[in-house]
Amino acid sequence: MNCLQWVVASGLLMCCCTSKDMKFQQYFAQGQNLYETHCSNCHQKNGQGLGRLYPPLAGSDYLKNNFEASICLMKYGTSGEISVKGIQFNKPMPGVPSLTELELAEILTYITNAWGEEHEMITLEQTSQALKNCTPP
Amino acid sequence: MKKYMKEMKLFWNDHQVAGYRLPISYCLLLAVPFLFFSCSLKKEKLPILGQREMNGNDTVYHTVAPFRFVDQDSAIVTNATFNNKIYVTDFFFTSCRTICPVMKSQMLRVYEATKNMPDVLLLSHTIDPEYDTVALLHDFADRLGVESKRWHFVTGAKDSIYKIAQTSYFAVAMEDKTEPDGFIHSGAFMLIDKHGRIRGKYDGTKEEEVNRLIGDIKILRQE
Ligand code: HEC
Repeated sequence: MNCLQWVVASGLLMCCCTSKDMKFQQYFAQGQNLYETHCSNCHQKNGQGLGRLYPPLAGSDYLKNNFEASICLMKYGTSGEISVKGIQFNKPMPGVPSLTELELAEILTYITNAWGEEHEMITLEQTSQALKNCTPP
Repeated sequence: MKKYMKEMKLFWNDHQVAGYRLPISYCLLLAVPFLFFSCSLKKEKLPILGQREMNGNDTVYHTVAPFRFVDQDSAIVTNATFNNKIYVTDFFFTSCRTICPVMKSQMLRVYEATKNMPDVLLLSHTIDPEYDTVALLHDFADRLGVESKRWHFVTGAKDSIYKIAQTSYFAVAMEDKTEPDGFIHSGAFMLIDKHGRIRGKYDGTKEEEVNRLIGDIKILRQE
């Protein structure tokens, strides 16, 4: 865990007084487990990606601007050229079809908050809505 | 350290059995220089792995068998490419989603650490040559941002790759359709000296192991 994560994590711990924060906490922690199982091999533990092979998730403009599409690609995979933070990537990403709506929400809560940025918790409603509109490749 | 503790205990027990009651401080006094000695001894020379045979008075060590592959620039890579070079080698494939990306980020650390060592090269073999063509390996190396002069990504006949993995490098590499990625392979990095002998084997998915490898490269260069 890097310093920033400690600060974020302990900050979160201190203010988990309302149930909403509790839920956030829970999603974040579960999301971290799932991220380290399914994603960090490629995107790295610190979310920085690897060269022009695997794009970064930390501070990703792609993720922000294509939020629903990103949920789809986590489950179904993707291929073709995409641009993330001004760099072109073009390698197929295998999806993880077993991920449930809840697990997707947890991973997204983690990756949008883990590396110095703050974001609202991602809810089940958001992920199930997005999945309805996916066109699995 | 664990081994040292065990030795300490044995030493202690022996002396108790013999009827002595050596004060612990005396043991420490003896053991500390011993520990330093064994550490410095270990640091001096890396072991030579694999089978060895005697030929008259000479010991013949296991060496890497002749090979001939093609790298990401379509250049032929053989044992001669590593003439008078130390190299680190592994087995992977570009579409792998399990351990290979971790191995590649760790191998990238070795690449960075050996930047100023002209006598150290890296060699990664694909174990999926049907999919990993020269063009694909070229794209992969390019995206990783590494020079083909220092890091060769090679492909070739599947049988020769699997054979060299198993018989020359003691690495595991084979097809297995029941595995999630379709292959079984070890995440090992092997360290080869200037005479084609194997001098170390490391888990390429673990940061500490790769730190050890980087340290061993420095030791090997002193030979
Ligand atoms: C085998 C390596 C690999 C794994 C494992 C992997 N990804 Fe990816 N990911 C990629 C690649 C390669 C791309 C770029 C795809 C392209 O070029 O079209 C990508 C793109 C993305 C993107 C869009 C681009 C960006 O950086 O914002 C997101 C979001 C993403 N991945 C999230 C995930 C999540 C979450 C997981 C775990 C559930 C995951 N990935 C697992 C390789 C991987």
